[in-house]
Amino acid sequence: MAFLATHALTKRYSGVTALDSLDLELSPGIIGLVGANGAGKSTLIKVLLGLLKPTSGSAQLLDFDVTRHQVDLRRYVGYMPEHDCLPTDVSATEFVAHMAGVSGLPRSAARERTAETLRHVGLFEERYREMGGYSMGMKQRVKLAQALVHDPRVLLLDEPTNGLDPEARDDMLDLVRRIGREFGIAILMASHLLAEIERVCNYLVVIDAGRLVRSGPVASFTERTQVLVVEVEGDSSALAQRLREDGLRLRQEDGRILVGLEGERTYDLIRDAIADLGLALLCLEQGRQSLEDLFRTPKADADDASLG
Amino acid sequence: MPLSAEPEGSVYDLGYRTYDGVRLGRRHAVLSVYVTSLRGVFGLGRHTSSKILPIGLAILALIPALVHLGVIAASETIDFEVISPDDYYEFVQWPLALFVAAVAPELVGRDQRSHTLPLYFSRPLLRNDYILAKMAALSTALLAMALVPQAAIFVGNAMARSDALDYFRENWRDIGPIVASGAMLSVFWSAVALAIGSQTDRWPLASGGIIAYFALTWILASLLVNSSDDGVFRYSLLVSGFHVVRAFTLWTFGVTLNPPTVDQDDSLYNDLYKADLSPHIYALAAMATIAVAMVIVHLRYRRMAL
Repeated sequence: MAFLATHALTKRYSGVTALDSLDLELSPGIIGLVGANGAGKSTLIKVLLGLLKPTSGSAQLLDFDVTRHQVDLRRYVGYMPEHDCLPTDVSATEFVAHMAGVSGLPRSAARERTAETLRHVGLFEERYREMGGYSMGMKQRVKLAQALVHDPRVLLLDEPTNGLDPEARDDMLDLVRRIGREFGIAILMASHLLAEIERVCNYLVVIDAGRLVRSGPVASFTERTQVLVVEVEGDSSALAQRLREDGLRLRQEDGRILVGLEGERTYDLIRDAIADLGLALLCLEQGRQSLEDLFRTPKADADDASLG
Repeated sequence: MPLSAEPEGSVYDLGYRTYDGVRLGRRHAVLSVYVTSLRGVFGLGRHTSSKILPIGLAILALIPALVHLGVIAASETIDFEVISPDDYYEFVQWPLALFVAAVAPELVGRDQRSHTLPLYFSRPLLRNDYILAKMAALSTALLAMALVPQAAIFVGNAMARSDALDYFRENWRDIGPIVASGAMLSVFWSAVALAIGSQTDRWPLASGGIIAYFALTWILASLLVNSSDDGVFRYSLLVSGFHVVRAFTLWTFGVTLNPPTVDQDDSLYNDLYKADLSPHIYALAAMATIAVAMVIVHLRYRRMAL
């Protein structure tokens, strides 16, 4: 059976359809759940946790049916919500140990794993202080620690970099990647930032308006395109003129020249042209499709792809 | 000197260790919430400022018992009781009521205010389990507040006698009613306090609501009973937390209501005498109130968006 499967999963709030007969079948990995705000990412996570009841359809996570075997499933799931969820007047140690107990760990094991987990997320001396005085980055670390403390088989992370500055964001993404790769814990991470997903995840699920847009390995979303990007110092129009005369299809864009790739010969022609014109080559690389392309309208995509 | 293959100054990292120990289920989750909540009621494991109010009110509830013990220790004759067990709550009802009003809103409001509930309900803990744990924690705290001073009085009375065993032989039958009335008070008032306290995450509002419940039902019921001899108004006593507990306590001790003496200013007693309802009705009223209060708490948590 799949690690995560949904069948015609639908969730309607009063008047709003958050999940619209969603069908998914995923293997364990570091799965990115991408969509604009309101696409249904948080709703899907909450349905998987049993925090929300689906209107219709079914979902299985780790071979447990999420509505019928909630309690059994939740022993093996860690959840990091999007919003602030920490009391201000207790220490991180005390709070995480309590949460470990609620997850089913006996007292001594809860204490031991709390110390270890807080070390893994990078919280040291400050873990004995009340959490009210924590920075946003420290709070996010505690939120991750309480999701990790009972050694779950799957982590559900809802916008884990929410509210972080760039440095703290990098740390958090490194941490998530490490948990997925080194700790061997499956991850489902929701984010509206494609760059984050690209850095951390190896599988991607794109949803929009509660429907599946596309899913597949991250690499399949960023395949190389048959376009060479050329950047030179100097007169790029002259170069474009020359390459046209050589019979290449090309388009000029922001001082760069995009050349249709037609075998090894294309590289040779560009090299010779630049050498003959005495220009300095700054960049010559094969263009990649970016994840952003997913969210462009089909019309714009068609325009981009056309080379003069 | 041999060169080490290890790079110098490397960080000692144990790496991630999986957990292969036992994973206990719902019962352990409920127990964890219960223990932490009970500690939290008295502000244990929290900031000093969280301890002041509950500990202060606990001491206030001890004062009548301390006065009693002081009087019997100082007096030569030992043939009288300052506080008899069947009217003990007359002396401590306000400290106990203020105590639930002070701690119940924090007990359930904190998790709402800091949005911690999604963390609880994504663990092996159902919403009703959470309510049960909170209810048990508050009832336990209140039961301790009700019984510890009475135990002190009982032991003090026994010590004041030349023969402590003699006192015990004569009075051991009081233990059942003391525990029964204390248990009823604890569960009854805890249920009402949670029903009111869980409605908002702002504690001043919740505390005010709980105090208003005790004060308003007490005053209104007393006014209605004394305003006319109409039979219907007698039943207003059944919604008053103070009246019901007093009537139930008298019933458990088997006290029959005699006409109050002229100088008796025990207003609850006078109201109960005037209403002249069967004691069973008060017991039923307490149980009905507990049931309704628990349904209100259940609905509150079921409808809460997480």
